[in-house]
Amino acid sequence: MSARGSLDFADLQGNILRGYGKQYVRHLVLTVANPAAARRWLADASSGDESATPQITTAEPWTERRRTCVNIGITHPGLAALGVSPSSLNSFPHEFVAGMAARNVLLGDTGPSDPSKWKEEWRGEGPHLMISVYADDAADREATAARILAARGAFQLRAALEGEGFAGGLVHFGYRDSISQPQFYGVHDPDDRRDDQPFVEVGAMLLGHATPIENLRWEVPQPNVLGHNGSFNAFRVLEQQVAGFEEFLTACADALMNNPLSETLLPPGAEAGWDPPMDRRAALREMVAAKMLGRWRNGVPLALSPTSPSPQPRIDDAGLNNYGYAHDPDGQRCPIGSHMRRSNPRDAKTVQRNTNHARRLVRRGIPYGPHYDPANPVKAERGLLGSFMCASLTGQFEAIQYDWTNLGLQDPRITGSNDPILGNNDPLFSRFSFPVGDNAITFRGFSHFIHTRGGAYLFQPSMSAIRHLASLSGGKTARTR
Amino acid sequence: MVKFSNKIWTALRHLFERVLIAFWRRAAPVKTPPPTYSTALADNLQMHMNLVMPLADQTPVGRAQAAQAIAANIDELFSGLSNVGTVHFARFDLIGGNLCMYSVFDGDFRAYIRDFICVFGSVFDSLLGLVADPPPSPSALHPEAFIDWIHRHDSFQIPRDLTALFPEEKNLKNLSRDLVLLLDANPNVQLGRFSGYPGVSVAQIRHGAGLGW
Ligand code: HEM
Repeated sequence: MSARGSLDFADLQGNILRGYGKQYVRHLVLTVANPAAARRWLADASSGDESATPQITTAEPWTERRRTCVNIGITHPGLAALGVSPSSLNSFPHEFVAGMAARNVLLGDTGPSDPSKWKEEWRGEGPHLMISVYADDAADREATAARILAARGAFQLRAALEGEGFAGGLVHFGYRDSISQPQFYGVHDPDDRRDDQPFVEVGAMLLGHATPIENLRWEVPQPNVLGHNGSFNAFRVLEQQVAGFEEFLTACADALMNNPLSETLLPPGAEAGWDPPMDRRAALREMVAAKMLGRWRNGVPLALSPTSPSPQPRIDDAGLNNYGYAHDPDGQRCPIGSHMRRSNPRDAKTVQRNTNHARRLVRRGIPYGPHYDPANPVKAERGLLGSFMCASLTGQFEAIQYDWTNLGLQDPRITGSNDPILGNNDPLFSRFSFPVGDNAITFRGFSHFIHTRGGAYLFQPSMSAIRHLASLSGGKTARTR
Repeated sequence: MVKFSNKIWTALRHLFERVLIAFWRRAAPVKTPPPTYSTALADNLQMHMNLVMPLADQTPVGRAQAAQAIAANIDELFSGLSNVGTVHFARFDLIGGNLCMYSVFDGDFRAYIRDFICVFGSVFDSLLGLVADPPPSPSALHPEAFIDWIHRHDSFQIPRDLTALFPEEKNLKNLSRDLVLLLDANPNVQLGRFSGYPGVSVAQIRHGAGLGW
């Protein structure tokens, strides 16, 4: 329990342990054009002098709300480009060295998600670093990004990815997101806690600290000043097939209309008492959407309210994460194979006994592309710019994505089926099943609703590490492709 | 007399082979391919680990020490393996001067070894005190180095399709040479594996058989 009271918040990048809740994000995907100039920018951005360049935001508590925040993540080739020595580069974990594209089969990035089909900026050696700008309004975002890119000769812009939060914290597919996040010792207030899960050791995110796995600590890349208080980010550009997803819900609702089990699933007439009330078919669509995720689209968890998105008494925002699955061992309320229960089984029994609570991720995601309006469907690319942060990419992000999402190893009843929302599903084999009383409803033949369009494993260095990087020499520019 | 000249011939042949291998190693080195992943379910369940760890003391005394150490810790090892949850079988053998652990498990190798560190890392650390070139200890503070070490001592598994081993080899005629070089670099290899129930996890078997999982 090391971190309580001993964290130096000024040394941490500010987007790791807490989110900013900003509506506008721009991720600048960059390569180093000139190592010395790039290092100069790092020095300026960590100098405390806002007039030099926008400053990298730390985790120090704010006295007043900041209008914009800036954070950085660096790939393995990016560290080399900045002049990190070969021995230091080799001290990073092997999956980070290999990079996200090389881990594609394990991550399920095959077929349309294969790295050979990723967007140009993620191909080849990929980018060197990503500078993320978070802002309350679009003009501030624009101005801050422009000031960063003005750093003379430092970077070459490969792409600027823009995300914009939708009202009510919704993401494409219409779900409310960013509700479940780990609560950390020494960071979040234990008296203000409305989460059934144990508090999490900061070593689940930051290198050099105790982790949620007893006695286990992840190795810190060397030198210590570079690795300590750093964190990893699996950044993914996840395109969402919104029309296909909505059509699937309709097809499932149609099937349920003719299935007598639907009366046990949702007692007839119950939907009339929902807020807002719905007709039966629409309510069954919502039911399927909730079963696939683990929450109703408005964020109410199935574990607390299995047959209504608007239970009485109301569950307020602070209560939306206060639940587990121990009392729902068969998934009658929240399916074992739903996206959320797969990604975090909370207190449910799992095959790998010591993995509950041990693979927590911080998720920072923002939608990109236009909102999908079924009444006026506009064809456009849309999806999620997702950051999945952790101290060990293999121990947390990859373990979730491979063991739990793609294989369903955590419970024999779902082994061999993939996540219904996130999984790389093939209509020939896909199945999503959940119990209804003593029976089960199973949907088959659906395709994947999410394609990976790019991504990278990024190292998010501490402020001391950024200053260390700024003090290096040498380095190299991007390999010509 | 005939026997004697046969022996000479064999010795000469071996010498010649050794020189040739040394030459090949320099002229046309082959890389031991890294582990590959597959999207097929059956290729992700019932994975094999064949850990061969040369003992520091390979005399009968040293081997007896290893046998005693395993016997003294066997209950803890078995309950740890049960807690890992994804292990079908595991056994400990002494073969030649090597302490061996063979196991069949579901899922990712690195996740398996990480879980293994969590549930009986400290017991394993003490066993590794008997091994010739132990990894940094304790494993819980060096998990990645420990996993890499286990990987290096896990016998290389030759796939069904030998040509898949050397994707960069353009000339099929060189396959035998490549294989010799691969075996030169990897003295212990697994040649094939059979499963009577492919594509099923240990928890599915236990669940199906009503054994609890
Ligand atoms: C476009 C892709 C994705 C969408 C639309 C999506 C959507 C959602 C939504 C709506 C929630 C519930 C909101 C909340 O509780 O905060 C959620 C929770 C979660 N998702 Fe995803 N997700 C996506 C990708 C991923 C990926 C790639 C991972 C990691 C491998 C992941 C891991 C999680 C986790 C860990 C939770 C929280 C579960 C819990 O703590 O109970 N998601 N996701």
